[in-house]
Amino acid sequence: MRGIIFAFIGGACITLQGVANARISQDMGTWQAATVTQLTGFMMALVILLFVRDGSKQGFGQVKPLYLIGGALGAPIIFSEVTAIQNIGVTLTISALLIAQLFLTFLIDSNGWFGVVKKRMSLPQFIGIGMMIAGVVIIKL
Amino acid sequence: MIAGLILALIAGSLVSLQNIFNNRVNEKTGSWSTTTLVLGMGFVASLSMSLIVEGKGTFNIQNMEPWYWISGLIGVGVVICLVQATRLLGATFAISIVMTSQLGFALLWDSLGWLGLEKVPFTMNQLIGVVVIVGGIMVFKLGGKHEQQEAA
Repeated sequence: MRGIIFAFIGGACITLQGVANARISQDMGTWQAATVTQLTGFMMALVILLFVRDGSKQGFGQVKPLYLIGGALGAPIIFSEVTAIQNIGVTLTISALLIAQLFLTFLIDSNGWFGVVKKRMSLPQFIGIGMMIAGVVIIKL
Repeated sequence: MIAGLILALIAGSLVSLQNIFNNRVNEKTGSWSTTTLVLGMGFVASLSMSLIVEGKGTFNIQNMEPWYWISGLIGVGVVICLVQATRLLGATFAISIVMTSQLGFALLWDSLGWLGLEKVPFTMNQLIGVVVIVGGIMVFKLGGKHEQQEAA
C-alpha cells in the first residue's frame, strides 16, 4: 500500500511540475522559468546528497560522458512541455507525452540501443500503444 | 493544436531518453548523486538557452513570486516518491500507477483551471479518453512477455 501511495503522489508531482512551470512561464520567459526551477531543485538535491552521501564519486568516472550530460535534456523537455500545455491543455499534453515516452522506450528496448538488454516486442505492447492513441482521438472528438 | 501535440511528443521522447541515460548513471552512483547531477545539468542548459534567447533579460526577475523558487522542490519530491515506489512495487507496476496518476491529475487540473492556467472544460469524452489511455498503459506495462526493467 505504501508503494502505491508513493507512486500516486509521484505521478501527481510530475504533472504538478508541468503545470507550475507553465504558470511561472506566464510571468517570465520559459527558459528563465526552467532555469529557476532547476536551480532550486539542484540545490535541494545537493543538500540531501551531502547528508545521505549515496554512491561513490568514482562511479561517475565509469559512466559514458553522453549519459552524464543526459540531464541537459531537462531544458528542452520543460520548454516543449510548457509550450504544449499552453497550447493544448494539460490532459492532451500529458497523454501525447506518455505515448511518445512509452513508444520510444519500447523501440530502445526492442533494439537494445544504448546498451539496454534487448527485449522482444510482443502483441500487448502494440495493443497498449494503439489504445493510448485511440484515447487521444476520443479526447479530441 | 498540431504544434502543441508535436511538442508534447518531443518532450515525451526526450523523457524516455533521459530516463535511460539517468539509469546508466544511477547504476554506478546512487539516486541522489544522479538527481543532483541531472538537475545541475538541466540548470546549466536552461541558463545557457535563456542567455541565448533573452540575453541580459535572463536576470530580470522582478515578476518572480516567492513560491516560484520553491516550485523546483517538486522535482525532488518526484525522485523520492519514484525511488520508494519502485523499491516497494518494482518498476513495471510502479510506473503504471505513476502514469495513471499523472493523467488523472492532468484532467483534474485542466477542469479546475488551477494556478491561473486556461480552464479546459470537463467533458465526458475527456474522461472516456483518459480511461482508454490508462487501459492502454496497463496493457502495455502488465501484458505479455515484454518485461520492462527500465523505468520508462
